[in-house]
Amino acid sequence: MHEMIKEPVSREPRRTIVLSAQGVCYRYPDGVKALSGIDMRIAPGDRIALVGRNGSGKTTLIKLLCGLIAPTAGNVRCKGRTLSAEHYDRSRLEIGVLFQDPDDQLFGHTVVEDVAFGLRNQGLPREDAHQRAMQALQQVNLATLAYKEPHHLSYGQKKRAALAGILAMQPKILLLDEPTTNLDPGQEAVLLDLLKHFKGSLLCVSHDLIFLYNICRRAVVLDQGRIHHDYTMHDLVSQRRYLREHRFDFSFRLVCLPADSASKAPASTSTQKNPPASGKMNPPPLVGMRNYAYQYPDGTRALQGIHLFIQSEERIAVVGENGAGKTTLLSCLIGLRQGTGDYYFAGMPVKQKQRKRLWRQVGIVFQDSADQLFNSSVQEEIAFGLRRIGCPRSAIQGRIGEVLSMVRLEGFENRVPLHLSGGERKRLALACVLAMEPALLILDEPTAGLDPQGQALFYNILKNFKTTILLVSHDMFLVNALTNRTLMMHQGQIIQDLTTRDFMRDKSLRGLNGLTFSLRQPR
Amino acid sequence: MADAVYIQMPWWQLPLLVLMPLAALAVMILWLRRVVQKQSVPGEERDWSVPPLTQSGGGSPVHRWDVRCKIVTLLVYSFIIASLRHFAPACAAVCLSLVVSMIAKIPFSRVLFRLTALAGFLGLLLIVMPFTVATHTGDTVVVFGGMGLGLNLRGLILAATIIAKAAAIALLMEPLVSTAPLPVTLHGLSRLGAPDMAPQMVLLSHRYVHVFRHEVRRMAAGMQVRGFSMQTDMETLRAIANFLGMLFVRSFERTERVFDAMRARGYTGRFHAPGERQIKFADVCGVVIILSVGVALLLFDRMGLQGWPLCTK
Repeated sequence: MHEMIKEPVSREPRRTIVLSAQGVCYRYPDGVKALSGIDMRIAPGDRIALVGRNGSGKTTLIKLLCGLIAPTAGNVRCKGRTLSAEHYDRSRLEIGVLFQDPDDQLFGHTVVEDVAFGLRNQGLPREDAHQRAMQALQQVNLATLAYKEPHHLSYGQKKRAALAGILAMQPKILLLDEPTTNLDPGQEAVLLDLLKHFKGSLLCVSHDLIFLYNICRRAVVLDQGRIHHDYTMHDLVSQRRYLREHRFDFSFRLVCLPADSASKAPASTSTQKNPPASGKMNPPPLVGMRNYAYQYPDGTRALQGIHLFIQSEERIAVVGENGAGKTTLLSCLIGLRQGTGDYYFAGMPVKQKQRKRLWRQVGIVFQDSADQLFNSSVQEEIAFGLRRIGCPRSAIQGRIGEVLSMVRLEGFENRVPLHLSGGERKRLALACVLAMEPALLILDEPTAGLDPQGQALFYNILKNFKTTILLVSHDMFLVNALTNRTLMMHQGQIIQDLTTRDFMRDKSLRGLNGLTFSLRQPR
Repeated sequence: MADAVYIQMPWWQLPLLVLMPLAALAVMILWLRRVVQKQSVPGEERDWSVPPLTQSGGGSPVHRWDVRCKIVTLLVYSFIIASLRHFAPACAAVCLSLVVSMIAKIPFSRVLFRLTALAGFLGLLLIVMPFTVATHTGDTVVVFGGMGLGLNLRGLILAATIIAKAAAIALLMEPLVSTAPLPVTLHGLSRLGAPDMAPQMVLLSHRYVHVFRHEVRRMAAGMQVRGFSMQTDMETLRAIANFLGMLFVRSFERTERVFDAMRARGYTGRFHAPGERQIKFADVCGVVIILSVGVALLLFDRMGLQGWPLCTK
């Protein structure tokens, strides 16, 4: 391993320091060491990317810097004074933190009330706080939803509302924890614009180096609870050696970007909207949907006029903005919801009774893999599905070993799923599904929230599968590299059905839902 | 056996007289539910840039009524309704509650929704009580020949009275709860002396119950897509225990994260008041009017219309 940096690189040493950590160590209550010997200084106007692998201590450092937890050794200083007692109460009103899950941060009854929460704590009278809150909502383009209840907002809107709550307080320092996770490219672009215009100091934790490159000038690399390097952002991104050293080399994406990978994928059988000709030679499609529609109980039409035919071993991407109906389509395909119209699986009509048995042939990896992990050990988790399909006890152990090796989790049999890292959990969820040998594998945003190393690993696992794959992703690299046909969804309809190669070549199509953004290159 | 009036009827009239009206009631409840469902389907997205109460029915006197006066008055009035003993005053109370709902401009579908939510429990009361009340002197009992079943008319009226009282009180809950934003109502409770922590917990629970429900659904779907279905075996019990355990752990973790987020924005144990308001003369008039109506109902129940058959105990 390379030599660690003890002192942060200070490009402008004479500047005032607004926030600093000196010799900071932190141990969790169970004794596990999370951070040690952290020395860091943040000057006014600094824009710092805090990067590192999952579990390297980034979120813990953010909590320490804003005073939510106290260091076990060392101290955190804000404007020269240690963060404790009265000074802590005053300081945290000047340090804004945007947490990863916006639902944790929106606890108000309405959006405007939530945004005004921090302002009232700053001592502003009700009317003034309301006015400032409305201005902040205007800034994030949410003024029209000011009186909506937060749980009725979309994910991207929630993220912006949470940011408005922070910006309204006019913080001197902004700490952001994974701000782009689960956002579609359009929403990500909006967030990027907002952060670019922020005037104070900024510290952003993210795995998305390209996003970070657009807003940060300095990169602090954290590894196993220590600061390993303090580069300029440009140095980090331009030197592949540094990227490899810290295991967030995302260059595998750039290698595959030219839209040639489709030709390497299994031969595409069809891109037509209509079913294959009813000739006797053609096998029935694995999935067939004719004039399929789904309406939620509240009247929202989530799917309309869906015509979809998927052949065996075909690899299909479904793209579209948040709320386009992608997840609802997946729910219908796997039998969690039943809409109207015709749905055939392997030539058999799927009615109420067959719908409940679809799980035997269709496997899905959810966007948040924690939603499908509920057992006390990794092997129990995989065995759960195997027992349901009636796999003999003697064969279960062998099958567990087999799939764990496929997803590179050998030796994890007795680990607790809840204690695994994000990437490991994702691969475990995939293992659980693969163990059941589904005819159709559905992947919902498989690389969201993973560090570049985790993404590369997941990609390498997926590219060798021979099964039929339906991929829902905003990640145009994955779409290009893994699929040969792309369906574009908008307002509950499939508006385009073409080869991935054609889709990637058509800039107007990619731009339609802001998808171009995910192909952006570092400037 | 007490001295009661017994009316003999052939057994086959039991379904005609009892079960068929009950079946009609059940059909009506189902129909009402469907009507409510249809009416609750939203049309166009409303304008969220303006406060909800100024846009939809915010102009009613009940909306303008001070929340503390509203809570105290409607709760006292509800206790008065609960203390009624006769069917006719209970029916009058239902009518008065409907009038209050109309004054408050509560959508009819929401009123129906409240009633249908109670319908199952109250319907059961209507079935069980006429057959199970003790027979007293002067009671009229319809005996269905050969079956040994006696339908006591006093029991039937008693059940109907309880249903009317429950409906009258349930109808008042909409004007009480939905004519002011929840934080305002809860702040009103605080100002009436309820411990600060209680309204805060209700407010946070109201916000996060939706997140929790969403999480439950996602996790249940995660189990379902791997073949889980409810059965009566140990495997199912184990899966449910794991599910509940995981849900508890996730909720606990979320609680910590929410608390951290609140502290990060300056929370020191107290939510700020949504707005202070002085009690005005009109608010006091509202209290006086409603309580006077309540006292009148009580007098009507205890002293008036002694000769009226439905006013007998």
